Amino acid sequence: MKALFSQFKFSRILIGDWILFFAALLLVIFLFKTYWHIESATKLQIRQGDKIYATLSLNQSRTLLIHGPLGDSKISIQNGQVRFVSSPCRNQYCVHQGWLKHSGQVAICLPNQISLELLGADKPFDSLNY
Amino acid sequence: MRIFACMLAILLVSCGREPLVQTQSYLFGTLVDISIYGESETKAHQAISQVLQNFQRLHHQLHAWKPDSELSQLNQSFAVGNTPVKVTPELSKMLIQASELSRQSDGLFNPALGHLINAWGFQRDEFTPVEINDADIQKWVKAKPAMSDIVIKDEMVYSTNPAVKLDLGGYAKGYALDQAAKILRDQGIENALVNIGGNIIALGRHGDKPWRIGIQHPRLATPMAMVELLDGWAVGTSGDYQRYFELNGQRYCHILDPRTGYPAQGTQAVTVLIPPGENAGVMSDVASKPIFISGENAKAEAAKKMNVAFYLIVSAQGKVTVTEGMSKRLNWLIKNPDLKVLPD
Repeated sequence: MKALFSQFKFSRILIGDWILFFAALLLVIFLFKTYWHIESATKLQIRQGDKIYATLSLNQSRTLLIHGPLGDSKISIQNGQVRFVSSPCRNQYCVHQGWLKHSGQVAICLPNQISLELLGADKPFDSLNY
Repeated sequence: MRIFACMLAILLVSCGREPLVQTQSYLFGTLVDISIYGESETKAHQAISQVLQNFQRLHHQLHAWKPDSELSQLNQSFAVGNTPVKVTPELSKMLIQASELSRQSDGLFNPALGHLINAWGFQRDEFTPVEINDADIQKWVKAKPAMSDIVIKDEMVYSTNPAVKLDLGGYAKGYALDQAAKILRDQGIENALVNIGGNIIALGRHGDKPWRIGIQHPRLATPMAMVELLDGWAVGTSGDYQRYFELNGQRYCHILDPRTGYPAQGTQAVTVLIPPGENAGVMSDVASKPIFISGENAKAEAAKKMNVAFYLIVSAQGKVTVTEGMSKRLNWLIKNPDLKVLPD
């Protein structure tokens, strides 16, 4: 028993260790490449006119109706993403923006005065030029 | 133990909220976003309220399709003859500046095109795809409304061409930015960021860092690059994605080429970065237009005429051209942009 134990203690790095080591390294590289550049957002800030309507977690499935000057805009939160589903505005730019998921992404409905902004731990910029 | 308590105190202090006041308002038919750093909430809100009041005033004065604005009344007098009309000293100064910039751009920046903009349906809060009325468009192109038709003397203004209808949509936001910077400085605000419908001017810094601006990707719901905006600098973009409609698969944007009367094609976006100066805001609004409208081979020349050294162009195919100076200031947020750098 003692011999067996010491054998483990002083054994060289085996092929399995190398596989594990490389798998871990690949995982780190993969995660770095996927997530380092633009951080996934965790929170959503909804503004209605001049006011913050709500700051919500993105980790929920929820549909909201937000009232603006033209009527109700429908917003859907799902799998860490958010989008305008429908809007009473004519041009539908806000709906065409589609899903937002990274922090700093913004969708604004000017006619109905509702904006969605994704917040993360570190906001990548102070304001958006468009 | 004492050292531990001190460290904890420092940690807690640094966790406190940073002295940043941010407001958003819908004015000018667009979104106005103001941030002030390092001032008390009361002082910041007072200053912001002054800026917003001034925006509201300008909005009423310069509205291009509400008949009671000062600009609309001037337009009405242009349409019926060439009797000089008295305007406010402020409007007179704006018209002189806009005329000068129009001349500098060889008429590509042309705020006298109100009738044409209206023919395309862009002079509305909510516009719909219009049936393109080529005869109407050609009529306004042939009439050649230009800023050089306007005569301004001692705040008396008239037009020698009844086809002139002023629309300062490509100028007013920039003018309002310059005014905002002045109001904030006069109020003793040293660090602020003002964003009117995407045109931005910076004062000072955001704490120990410069203000950082995301530049919107013209086709994706995400910023494509980040730029640091130093004290007094301004940034503006002309894009085919801000106001447009689609008809039979073709995109028609709000930026019209005065030579053809049709929306400029071949460009998705032009972003200009303007160094500090009295008119940085105006230039951030105006200078991108002639570059946007010019054909691919004439863009560099158009930029030169407007004295713009820092710019970024996204072509209709999504190819990005940047000047070397601009390139050095950008941090790309999208992977592997299709990039061409023009030497300074």
